[in-house]
Amino acid sequence: MSANPKQEAAAGSSRAAGKPSIASRALEWLWQHFSDVSHPQILDCGSVRQATVDVLLRRGSKLYLADLLTPLQRADPALWDRSGKHPVFLLEEFLHHLPDIPPESLSAIFCWHLLDLVPHDALPPLVTRLCSLLGPGGVLYGFLREPYLTRGAETAWWLESLTTLANTGEGTAPFPCPALTNREIERLLPTGSVKTFLTRAGRREVLAVK
Amino acid sequence: MLWGKKPQATTLMTPASASVPPIIPKLDEPMTDTMRKESGPPGPPSTQTVLGRPVILRGELSGGEDLLIEGQFEGTIKLEDHCLTVGQNGRVTAEIHAREVIVLGSVKGNITASDKVDIRKSGHVVGDLVSAAIAIEEGAYFKGSVDILREEAAPERGPHEIDAA
Repeated sequence: MSANPKQEAAAGSSRAAGKPSIASRALEWLWQHFSDVSHPQILDCGSVRQATVDVLLRRGSKLYLADLLTPLQRADPALWDRSGKHPVFLLEEFLHHLPDIPPESLSAIFCWHLLDLVPHDALPPLVTRLCSLLGPGGVLYGFLREPYLTRGAETAWWLESLTTLANTGEGTAPFPCPALTNREIERLLPTGSVKTFLTRAGRREVLAVK
Repeated sequence: MLWGKKPQATTLMTPASASVPPIIPKLDEPMTDTMRKESGPPGPPSTQTVLGRPVILRGELSGGEDLLIEGQFEGTIKLEDHCLTVGQNGRVTAEIHAREVIVLGSVKGNITASDKVDIRKSGHVVGDLVSAAIAIEEGAYFKGSVDILREEAAPERGPHEIDAA
């Protein structure tokens, strides 16, 4: 389904640079969870990557694409009201980047490291809004950084296969917000179950099941 | 080169606020002897209509050959067996049905393509895509849904319908 070798080369840049693909136990769990769902509807909140599109379409998914990460990584001034003493994050402006998605229609949301980039006071309404798009049993999949990982805000992630990841830009820009603890993420999702998978790369993979 | 210089289609130039009846470009008129003499030896027939940059068009557009839009169009585009290219200067707000759609400019609307949708890095698309194949170049902007054209399941054969040997 990809257009040309140039795109495939770009999609595999982490392999080309000698970086191995990253196996994901969380994704293994996720696809096992959806083993009886032939056409899952999935929202990808990262920058558009042909590799991810190919992998998910081959799986039979209907994809929603909405790049929520890039405006945060670029500190888009349209997302901030700086007229007062303290800058205020404009969540509704931010959510304009979402396409029209019927409520409770999604099987999964791939939010990557979105929760590491959003100001903490905006997280509860953001997570509530995202979870409202998930159907019963739907899964919010993302990464949370460990507190000692201070850089990597501009990382771009994509799927190389259903259960392996790749990235570029790791370790460049500093994270704008403090790291979230497991307790804090559980508080954001009081009615769901949260599974956390530790990695060796300073990140936790988090699956929140509605 | 995919987009060579092609003769501009004859189109109505209308104010953006006016609506126009559907325009069906006459694409199959044979060249006259006069035209043939002026342009030199006959080359391959023109296979693409161009809506140039100064053109602003609104309505229902259908045609019998490929179409390149470098201007502005609002309405519906039906090129079931042909390719639509929205050039870098093209601004299209439309429901699009084509065999193939290539976007280098801006499209707002749903796209259905029997073969492929190709959004290049300068492309900006807001809408839902349904196609047999989808390519989105890194750097392109896309917001919407992506779904694959799925073949309808073949009807089940009855017990007496046996393939001939």
